[in-house]
Amino acid sequence: MTDHLSLVTINALADGELSAEQLAMANDHLAACPACTSTALVQTLLKTSVAKAAQRHAMPPGLEQRLRLLALRETSQSSPGTAQALRPARQSAFAGWAVAALLLLVFSGVIGLLHRGQRAEVASVEQSAQVTEVSDLHIATLAASQDPQVISSDRHTVKPWFQGKLPFSFNLPENLPSDTKLDGANLTYLHNQPVAQLLYHIGRHRVSVFLMQRKSGEAVSESQSEHSGFKVVNVGVGDLDLVAVSDVDPARLLELVGIIKGVQAGGR
Amino acid sequence: MTLLPWKRAAQKTGPQTSTFEDLALPLLPSLYNVAFWLTRNQTDAEDLVQESFLKALRGFASFEPDTNFKAWIFRILRNTYLTSRTGLAARRTVALEEELDEQRESGAGLYPEGAIDRQTPEINLIRLADRAALNAALEKLAPPLLEVILLCDVEEMKYKEIASVLEIPIGTVMSRIARARTALRRTLEAQNTQPREWGA
Repeated sequence: MTDHLSLVTINALADGELSAEQLAMANDHLAACPACTSTALVQTLLKTSVAKAAQRHAMPPGLEQRLRLLALRETSQSSPGTAQALRPARQSAFAGWAVAALLLLVFSGVIGLLHRGQRAEVASVEQSAQVTEVSDLHIATLAASQDPQVISSDRHTVKPWFQGKLPFSFNLPENLPSDTKLDGANLTYLHNQPVAQLLYHIGRHRVSVFLMQRKSGEAVSESQSEHSGFKVVNVGVGDLDLVAVSDVDPARLLELVGIIKGVQAGGR
Repeated sequence: MTLLPWKRAAQKTGPQTSTFEDLALPLLPSLYNVAFWLTRNQTDAEDLVQESFLKALRGFASFEPDTNFKAWIFRILRNTYLTSRTGLAARRTVALEEELDEQRESGAGLYPEGAIDRQTPEINLIRLADRAALNAALEKLAPPLLEVILLCDVEEMKYKEIASVLEIPIGTVMSRIARARTALRRTLEAQNTQPREWGA
């Protein structure tokens, strides 16, 4: 077969842009042409891979709030109703200011309370989403049965491998508990942020330890949870968050987490 | 139905502002992601999103409610980017357009058969799963190809919407997408020839 589908057609197929008639013709051709089928498969995989990889720049935490305030200021400046409302206030300026000040106090108190509640709620939702995502990443690593991107039990090999790949640095412990071994590491992404996934095994159990830069300035207090049968331990270390996932005995997981946490201050 | 005066006033001003925020705020992460890819810099990306957001807010009265808001605000972002970038980036865009036109005029065809190896080596499939390699390949794309692939693959826009954002014909959208993916595959293939870093 000499008349292959054009790349434009194959891309339109991958993007779901072919009409029913064009799609039928393309399918007929693909049924008889392994070369075009292979190209179409790669273009489709490329599309989905790009979709995942290119979603990497997370919005800085304060930007949305800043834009909300700008929008509020913009609309209050341009609203004719606001300007009109200010004019008659001159006659009873003092009373107006007093009422405004009182209202401001009440509002700021109420908003402060609401904001604190919302923040706690958001933090809880974010933590639960993180637990789900790290568990999924750990399960995907187990299921893929592929070698780590850097295979080594030597911390002097694993740590330098991340240079230039992560916007932060970290330490790895030299002395590990008995029966615990470093297998290697992967560069992965969590909430569109690059993350170090350290792979250990404790006995026959495999462990993923994720090290990531904290988004907000607040340190995460130690928390433990369970997801799909995996124990998830989350601790804050300086500017980093450390999340460990495994089905190993929780005490042994906590021991490993404690050792990794301990060396982040600069010790070994 | 007759509305009370205060309700009429509320209809004129209130809902439009809230509607803008309802429509624009959920798109901020997408706008920021594209802005960062275009500017390659957090500060410039924040400035670009902020400027585009304010332009969109100020021009929201001109937005037709039944049309595509996402395409509209991305068009504002893209036009803001084009006017705020240095002359170097603009020259690069023009150079690529000229290159595309030259190829079209020469009759050589944009994608001659064999431009891509149709017998895909298995290594390519493996390479596609490597996010770092893909990101490196994306960073090498020229801006006109990068923006079209971001809108198509990441923002999942239809060709018609992309044409509206970029203000180009659909045929150009299609050819740029094909060109962008060809470039990505070539870069990934070239990366395969480089030794991979493995630990001891």
